[in-house]
Amino acid sequence: MSNTVYGGDEVNAIILDPGTYNTRIGYAGDDFPKIITPSYYGEYSNKDTTKKLFGQDLLIPRSNFEIKPLLKEGLISDWDSTILQFNHLFNQLKIQQSEQPLLLTEPIWSSTEYKTKLIESVYENWQFSGFYVAKVPTCISFQQGRPNCLVVDLGHDTISVTPVVDGICLIKNSMKTNYSGKFLNSIIEDYLQDKNIVWEPSYKIKSKTITKYPEPAQFQLKSGIETTNSYSQFLKLQMYHEFKELLMIPEKGQTEFPKRIFELSTGQQITLEKERFQFADCIFEPKSYEFKNKQLELPPSNGEIKNLNPLNEYRPLKRFKKSEQEENETASTTPNPDVEVRGLSQLITHSLNLIDIDLRSSIANNIIVTGGVSLIPGLTEKLYHELTNNNPGLKIRLHAVGNQQERINQSWIGGSVLASLGTFHQMWVTKQEYEEVGIDRLLNQRFR
Amino acid sequence: MSANDILDVLNISRDDNQPAKKKQKTSTPTDNGKPLTGMARELYNLVGPNTPPINLSSSNYISNKGKQNRQFRPSPWSKVNFTPGKHRNIQLKHWVKGSEELLKQENESDEKKEYFFEKFNIKLDIPEFIDEEKYETYMNEFKDDFREEQFTKRKAERMRQLEEQKKQKKIEEKKEEEKRLEEKKEAEKQEEVKQDIKKEGETKQEENFLEEKKEEQKMGEKSVEPSVEPSKEPSEPVITEEEQRSEDEKIKEEVKKELVQFDWSYQETKELFNLCQIYELKWPTIHDRFPSNHRVEDLKEQFYRICVKILETEENKNQNLIDSLKAFSKPRELERKQYLENLLKRTPAEIAEEESLVIEARRFELAAKKMLLERSNLLTLLDSPQSTQNVSQYQSSQGISNLYNNLMIYDKHQKKKQAHQQKQEPIPPPIPLAASSSIRRDKVFQTNLQQYLASFLKQAHHTNPAIKQEANSIQQLLSKRLTQKEEEAYGLHYHGTEKLTPGVTLRSQQKLPGSNQRQSVLKSVSAVFQEMDLPTAGGTMWKPVMPTRKTMSKYDELLRSVVTMLDIKRAKDKLEAEIKLIKSQKGMQ
Repeated sequence: MSNTVYGGDEVNAIILDPGTYNTRIGYAGDDFPKIITPSYYGEYSNKDTTKKLFGQDLLIPRSNFEIKPLLKEGLISDWDSTILQFNHLFNQLKIQQSEQPLLLTEPIWSSTEYKTKLIESVYENWQFSGFYVAKVPTCISFQQGRPNCLVVDLGHDTISVTPVVDGICLIKNSMKTNYSGKFLNSIIEDYLQDKNIVWEPSYKIKSKTITKYPEPAQFQLKSGIETTNSYSQFLKLQMYHEFKELLMIPEKGQTEFPKRIFELSTGQQITLEKERFQFADCIFEPKSYEFKNKQLELPPSNGEIKNLNPLNEYRPLKRFKKSEQEENETASTTPNPDVEVRGLSQLITHSLNLIDIDLRSSIANNIIVTGGVSLIPGLTEKLYHELTNNNPGLKIRLHAVGNQQERINQSWIGGSVLASLGTFHQMWVTKQEYEEVGIDRLLNQRFR
Repeated sequence: MSANDILDVLNISRDDNQPAKKKQKTSTPTDNGKPLTGMARELYNLVGPNTPPINLSSSNYISNKGKQNRQFRPSPWSKVNFTPGKHRNIQLKHWVKGSEELLKQENESDEKKEYFFEKFNIKLDIPEFIDEEKYETYMNEFKDDFREEQFTKRKAERMRQLEEQKKQKKIEEKKEEEKRLEEKKEAEKQEEVKQDIKKEGETKQEENFLEEKKEEQKMGEKSVEPSVEPSKEPSEPVITEEEQRSEDEKIKEEVKKELVQFDWSYQETKELFNLCQIYELKWPTIHDRFPSNHRVEDLKEQFYRICVKILETEENKNQNLIDSLKAFSKPRELERKQYLENLLKRTPAEIAEEESLVIEARRFELAAKKMLLERSNLLTLLDSPQSTQNVSQYQSSQGISNLYNNLMIYDKHQKKKQAHQQKQEPIPPPIPLAASSSIRRDKVFQTNLQQYLASFLKQAHHTNPAIKQEANSIQQLLSKRLTQKEEEAYGLHYHGTEKLTPGVTLRSQQKLPGSNQRQSVLKSVSAVFQEMDLPTAGGTMWKPVMPTRKTMSKYDELLRSVVTMLDIKRAKDKLEAEIKLIKSQKGMQ
């Protein structure tokens, strides 16, 4: 067997990695997903019939066409549409369900009900020969080949910090906040609103003349197509994406901020100077930006994941025996109630402090930074400096994939690695087993 | 027919030399190393001197590829169903090398062929969990044990504390008493001073009286002290029964409070065992998935103590395993973690300080090493050259000049080295050659008389035969009967039956008769000599420092006796060993 060299055994499994922004699907063993598609669906209503559209179809401007998200914080929120989307993807890849197992990723903060629903709907809707639910940080740790690590995932909706030990996520020590890509979007929106800058989707614009910011935008709109608000919001995501590409993390004590010009679809140019640094720094200091429009503000979050599921309910620590020593210990490990908002490095430091002391140094040595937001220039450098300053006793090492696309799709690639391992094939759960054993035991014993 | 023939026919002349050479080169074109034959050769010859500079045999590549293609047969791969793991009823497909028929045959031959990766699926051997009844009894046992142990331990501690407290109290009381007394004294003294001031002019008698009074007071004080002490002493170490009882109650309550650590329900423990099985005793993960908020150490403690109980009831129990499980101590584990925590919590300043200390320590070490090296260098400088080597090589004039040269070279070398190494340090003056011990020794070997005789003889040799008479007088002197004393003084000796070698030899060069031994014996003899600080000439050579006849004979005697001593010792060792052996054989030990 030649494949024993790297322990692989290809069974042509399907990896499906739904994220808040994009959903990825492809074959196990590949180094890149076959399809990357936005996690949104379009609802086209025409008199009596409604039709759901996915993928490229979303971009075509139509009237009576609502675009809605499928997921929220990495969890499927619109089940019916998501199942339709998955079907759509499976058809696109021409998958033979009876011959191919399916690996699905899920975030660590999914509740038991969510998992139950997920597993049930998979077995009900499709006939895959095997099925497995893998946690996103586990996949990322497999992508990097580091069984003990701290996965820092800067996604679209959430920043999550998860320690992984022997490939298994430690949920109690994980942290999650929403000060991530979407948060930056709302900062940008607030900034544009504050400056009274209008934005129109580019397909609407008939003609435009270039103007510079204090001047108002000069453009003419096309007439004829009446699109919905949700559709233009969806297109706005692209504008945010471009805007965010200008962001940079400031260096310590930086006083000079190089200019960049950002041109909107209306032909209006905004000169960005300090703002690009100020906005990016909100990843570390979420409170440093003051929202003019309070509606856009996020509720404060110190990163603790509450009420995971009835099994793992996170009660405040109440020890039966409290000697002096232990009190010291609790003071250091239990979260300080004053801390309302945690930035990225505080989040990681806190998570590190929660981890068992025996594991801490090896985990601090293997911090994996991933996700689209981590691509902001200077982020890993600043993170490294802050972490080493905050944890002088630990030797911090950050690992981030150099390739941009790989960093965005790291969890999918990890799933691809995982599902092509020969040892993994004993983990697939068949429908038969699901029916025999029942969902509770599956959750406890198989999908760990 | 070649191109040249054609050229001849056509009457075309060319520069002959070059093409001829070229032709020679190309006349044996090697296509795959073979010369051309038949038509091909004829055609090639027609090309003549117009051969292209590069042999265009591109067909080579194509033909080779064709050959390879013909040889290459793709090995068959087939997509086969398989089940990963025996107890999994899943059917997956993967590609396996080999044709389908072959694989079928294989499958038929050994039907229960294990999936290659199944061997990596290891299950831990965790003792099976017990029923509730047993669990309750175990837990109660733990509780009782704990209660008793803690009670006795704590009681002893408490009693000790109480005693100490009482002692402390007593000491304090004593101190207070002393203080009071001292204060009293002070007051009295002050009064005295006052009195003194008042009665300055009074007579000495009165002073004496006062002093007497003082003494009296002192005596009184002294007499008071002992009267206080004995009244207290008996009550000191005794702790009343009442106290004891109340203490007992207190301790019991305390212990009761601590019994909460045994507050594990059956369900909880079952869950723990279950998780241990699922997560293969990976404690961080077990702790993460365990529903309640026990610490990792609590989980470990509970698991280990139950395991010990279960394993102990087993028939063929593994004592080693049980002992290792029992060795777990929660307080110690917590303490260890606390220490680690503190280690990690060091501030950057502390870490820097520690590092600087380490660097400094290393510097000290280096300095010490350097100093030692320098000292040893100095010592070797101070040390006079050892006289262990044979001096015979320096006895000729050539040898001496060699030695002198060597010493000079060595000296220069040393000087250079020193100048190189330590320019500031003053260089010790080189030892004058005349003082060199080896030369001095040569002189020492000659007695005055010998010197006299030698010089005398030399003179006699150089001067004319007129002095022969005087030489004769020496002969006369020698032929004269001498007393023993005179003989000794002149160093005369009559060789009786001794065999003499012809010619003149130095006594220092003589071979000692006693040194006719085996090499190994000689070695051990020289070791003995060295132990006793007797001069040897190094290796297996012997020579007294001053080889007079007397010393030589004594030395020889000594040598022989040492040899016999060694013989005896060897015999004795042998006998002792034999005795031991026989004793042990007879079991007498």
